[in-house]
Amino acid sequence: MTETTILATYGLLVMLTILLQVLGGMQQLSLGYLISSRDETRTVSGMTARIERALANSITAMALFAPAVLILVILDRTSPATLLAAQVFLVARIIYLPVYALGIPALRTLVWLVGFAATAMLYLLAL
Amino acid sequence: MMPPELTVLVLAALVQVVTFVAYAIPANIELGSGYTMSARDREPTRQMSDRTARLGRAMTNMFEGLILFGIAALVIHTTNQSTGYTTLLAWIFLAARIAYVPAYAYGLHPGRSIIWVIGFGVTVLMLIAALF
Repeated sequence: MTETTILATYGLLVMLTILLQVLGGMQQLSLGYLISSRDETRTVSGMTARIERALANSITAMALFAPAVLILVILDRTSPATLLAAQVFLVARIIYLPVYALGIPALRTLVWLVGFAATAMLYLLAL
Repeated sequence: MMPPELTVLVLAALVQVVTFVAYAIPANIELGSGYTMSARDREPTRQMSDRTARLGRAMTNMFEGLILFGIAALVIHTTNQSTGYTTLLAWIFLAARIAYVPAYAYGLHPGRSIIWVIGFGVTVLMLIAALF
C-alpha cells in the first residue's frame, strides 16, 4: 500500500459511513423524508446520531489528510516514515467508526487523537 | 492541456462557488445583512424561505461530494491511472452535481435523490478504479 492507495481507501471508508448514515436515516426518518426536500428539520437519535457525528468528524479529517498526502506525493517526499504515518491514520480512522457508533467513550477520543497526530506528522514531514 | 479529471475538478469547484452565491444572496436578503455579518450568537429572528434553505443544504452536500471527488481525481491523476473510463465517470459526476442544485431548489423528488446516488456511485467507481 502506498500513501495514495491509503487515501483512496479512506475515501471509500467515508463513503461507507455515508451509506450507514443513510440506512439509519431510512429506519428512523423514513425513505419518504429522505427523498423529500427536508424543509422541516428532523433529527435522528442513538447510534444513527453517533454515526452522523462520526461522519462530520471523518469529513474534517479527510479535508486535512488529503492535502497532506497529495503534497507529499507531488513533492516526491514520500518515505517509510510518511507511509507509516498514513497507515496509522487509516487504522485509527477504521477503529474510530465502530467505536463511535457503539458509543465507547475515552477510546474514541484516544483513537481520534492518534489520527490527528498522524496527520500533523505528515504535514511536518512535507515541510 | 489540463488532464480531463483535473479540468472536471476545477469545474466542480466552480459549481460549488456558484451554489454558494445562489445561496448567499437570498440568505442575506431574507435574514438581513445585519444578522449575517454579526457573530451569529443567536438564531436569526427572520426565517429563510424553503428554497434558500434548500440551496444551503445543497451547498453543504456538495462540500462532502467535492472532497471525495477531489481525492478520486487527484489520486487517479498523480498515479497516472487516467483512462477513458475514469474520464467518463468524472464528467458524469460533474453533470450530476450541476443537476443536483436546481433539483434541490425546486424540491424535485425522487429526482434529487436519484441524482445524488449517481454522483455518489461514480465517485465510488473512481476510487475503486484508483485502487485496482
